[in-house]
Amino acid sequence: MPLVRTYRALLVAGFQQMAAYRIQSLLWMLFAIIRPVIFLAAWVAIATAQGGAVSGYTVGDFAAYYVCLAWVSQLTMAWNSQEFEWEVNQGRLSAKLLRPLHPIHYSVVDNIVYKLTTLPVLGAILIVIAIAFNAHFRTEPWHLLVFIPAVVLAAGLLFVFGYIIASLAFWATRMRTANTLWQRAAFVFAGSIAPVVLMPAWLQTLTYALPFWYMVGAPTEILQGSVTPERAAFILVGQAVWLTVCYAVFRVVWRRGIRAYSAVGA
Amino acid sequence: MSEAVVHVRGLEKIYKVHERETGVGATVRSFFKRTFKEVPAVGGIDLDIARSEVVGFLGPNGAGKTTTLKVLSGLLYPTGGEASVLGYTPWKREYAFLRRIALLMGNRTQLVWDIPAADSFLVLKQIYAISDHDFQTRLDELVDLLELAPLIHKPVRQLSLGERMKVEFAAGLLHGPEVVFLDEPTLGLDVSMQARIRSFVAELNRRTGATILLTSHYMDDIVALCKRVVVIHHGKILYDGALADLAERMAPYKVVGATLRDGASRADLERYGDVVSNDGAGRVKLRVPRAEAPARTARLVADLGDALADLSLEDPPIEDVIDRVFSGGQLEPAVG
Repeated sequence: MPLVRTYRALLVAGFQQMAAYRIQSLLWMLFAIIRPVIFLAAWVAIATAQGGAVSGYTVGDFAAYYVCLAWVSQLTMAWNSQEFEWEVNQGRLSAKLLRPLHPIHYSVVDNIVYKLTTLPVLGAILIVIAIAFNAHFRTEPWHLLVFIPAVVLAAGLLFVFGYIIASLAFWATRMRTANTLWQRAAFVFAGSIAPVVLMPAWLQTLTYALPFWYMVGAPTEILQGSVTPERAAFILVGQAVWLTVCYAVFRVVWRRGIRAYSAVGA
Repeated sequence: MSEAVVHVRGLEKIYKVHERETGVGATVRSFFKRTFKEVPAVGGIDLDIARSEVVGFLGPNGAGKTTTLKVLSGLLYPTGGEASVLGYTPWKREYAFLRRIALLMGNRTQLVWDIPAADSFLVLKQIYAISDHDFQTRLDELVDLLELAPLIHKPVRQLSLGERMKVEFAAGLLHGPEVVFLDEPTLGLDVSMQARIRSFVAELNRRTGATILLTSHYMDDIVALCKRVVVIHHGKILYDGALADLAERMAPYKVVGATLRDGASRADLERYGDVVSNDGAGRVKLRVPRAEAPARTARLVADLGDALADLSLEDPPIEDVIDRVFSGGQLEPAVG
């Protein structure tokens, strides 16, 4: 299994590298949980003002939702689109293209390393938040079981989607606008502002049709235990469909992008 | 010529470059309508390189050297023509092909900045599926040749430019490539480090029989390593042949070096050729047409007699030949 051995070697090098930047990694992680905590505080205030619940969502439900959201966000996050733009524009991609390994594998390993090194600390912080806000989880054992494929599919979907955006750097020098656009869309539709069931009906329909909710909000609901088996199945199917579509698009974009690559500066 | 490991016919690479005039109006117009100019970087070149050959690729900035190397190593898709390296089409980038070649670029890092090179080497071992035995043998050899022992356990970011270059070389060659493309391998290095890299490249070729195509701005690199040179200018090959014959084919003159006892005047010497230098102490250099060089030299000897202390007749320095070619002084394309 040469690929397994390559992954092991890349992971070892990745952990060594991460050790050099451990403080920076922790700061990124802390920065990433600020937003869910702010929304949690806001919804707790609203729920409390409305007598303890908003459309059936209690303070404890909000706490559980946002604790799960922060955890899922960390598990599924991908930053490859920003990094890739830099690699293409600086010609750094060239060294990777010349090796007998697809450049995507380096990003996968970086992603795994970052998550494994930051999750223990994040877990401890989220336990404290859950206790402080008296989070009410409805999670049953089957939710945890379904959560595993759901979070893996979500992470894969976000990663591949990010790579499609990243591949646009083959044609455009500045990708920040495209990045910002899709991150804003993800912010609105992924379930960060509110659980999707609290949104207006038309917005819910749109959310289910777009890929963003399947990246974060959907697995969050499974982990929180707020879904029925039917809804869980709907989520898994939606994720699988979007992942298949995005992977097919990525393959086409990548193949064409490589032809357009001009290896500037390297 | 024995089996060609690099075979190129009519290779072309045209870049599409966004073009815009200066000024506010042009800037606004470029928002709505972009104009592109086609810049031919490589304009249909033919090239064959035999196994174990070391070939120098000469040309000024923008001549198409690096673009050719990038196409041959598979980084760029050509616009036209065909090329095969070790029987593979480079831009298909098959893993079997990538395992057998290397493109080393002077100032580009392949190593992970924050960890020691030895750890990066272990990653490369797995990526290239190098056996334990080959890895250890090659590593020992590279450590020995490049004197890497004190360097490979330090984080790469703590190494000097020269040290990093040596470690980069090792990283790029661990998989034992059969064809090595070297782009400006000594760029930015001090004189002694340049010499060390040069002797390493020569040794690499001798020990492993690797085929090497090398670009460099430093003629010393080319003179030290390459018997054969390919001169490229504006994407076209102007000369392909022995380095020793380059001056004869590209420069229509020779240089007469004369040392005079009585400090003969400049006017006297203009009769024999163009005076290119005169140090005022009797040492003079004259440029004479190549065809007339023997006759003019003989006349100089006969006319000056005992006033002449020393005499030499040489090809001009290779830098001068190249400089004349690239500055448009003498263009006599002669592919041999």
